[in-house]
Amino acid sequence: MVIRIAAVGDVHLDEDVVGRFRPALEQLPGSVDALLLAGDLTRHGTEAEARCVAQEFGGLGVPVIAVLGNHDHQCDQVPQVVGTLEEAGITVLEGDGVVLDCPGGRLGVAGVKGFGGGFAGRCASDFGEPEMKAFVRTTTESADRLSEALRSLDCDVLVALTHYAPVPDTLAGEPLEIYPFLGCYQLGQAVDAAPTALALHGHAHHGSERGTTPGGVRVRNVAHPVIKQAYSVFQLGDHLDQSEVSGVAAGGIQQPWS
Amino acid sequence: MTAHLDSGAGPPDEYVEAEIHRLLTEDPAVAEQGITVVRTERALVLHGEVESAHRREEILRRVADRFPDVPISSDIGVIRAQAPTEIEQLP
Repeated sequence: MVIRIAAVGDVHLDEDVVGRFRPALEQLPGSVDALLLAGDLTRHGTEAEARCVAQEFGGLGVPVIAVLGNHDHQCDQVPQVVGTLEEAGITVLEGDGVVLDCPGGRLGVAGVKGFGGGFAGRCASDFGEPEMKAFVRTTTESADRLSEALRSLDCDVLVALTHYAPVPDTLAGEPLEIYPFLGCYQLGQAVDAAPTALALHGHAHHGSERGTTPGGVRVRNVAHPVIKQAYSVFQLGDHLDQSEVSGVAAGGIQQPWS
Repeated sequence: MTAHLDSGAGPPDEYVEAEIHRLLTEDPAVAEQGITVVRTERALVLHGEVESAHRREEILRRVADRFPDVPISSDIGVIRAQAPTEIEQLP
């Protein structure tokens, strides 16, 4: 059983970017089972920018599943943004999930935007001023929704999709001072509370690609400025025949992609 | 000979740096959170990557308009968008 997933986040589309990703995206049909978009699809979250996303990532011939990011909330047009993406056949997750019947098995994807808050021992607490409590409750409620969505899916391979980071590992390269604005440990807890195979996120443009939750789940930061390519491709399931493998890296086995 | 910024002229660099950083995020024409502002002896250097050359030019134009007397240097790249050459297998 093998499932292949392409993923990218933080593409920040507007008219000036339309067409840049498309040549690489046209290679996806027949090569992957799904494309996952890890938020910040637009610059300001306008309906017009969402139409650019729909044009670039719609009608690809593979299922496209997305969460929104903080940029996609900037203009308070989330319903219009979601509606435009869904009209283009893009599934937008926020505290829910979807199961795809792929040739290699059932791929479950649960998604939520997530929020900041910080990581164990260096995080915000639900205490003090109403503003502070509202901040932390946003964090915990988002993580709770992810946890419920992950545990609700009946599938063979389970993937968590967020915009904010569930671990600090993939933030390496960012200033330590802004870690609480880049993710929270509660998302990691949600990932670990389910039989998750892979957690994908974006948001941290200066972060690094690979990390692991305390429970041992692989985490990948697929923010476009981090991966520096149109998307990354992950293969989950059976191990490759070693003769197919071009090299072995710490985080997994690499093989040529064509 | 090394040029030194005159600490007695204009606002302290740290506040300029903070203001540029916020400008880059909050100015609707820019809306970039991934640009780093680094102080050097000669200039404030903008580091980071954006999705188009147009956005890079707009960043430099906006910062120059807002801080005409601050020497600015740019090291902003445009992110490549080619198809990957490898896949990663996960256990």
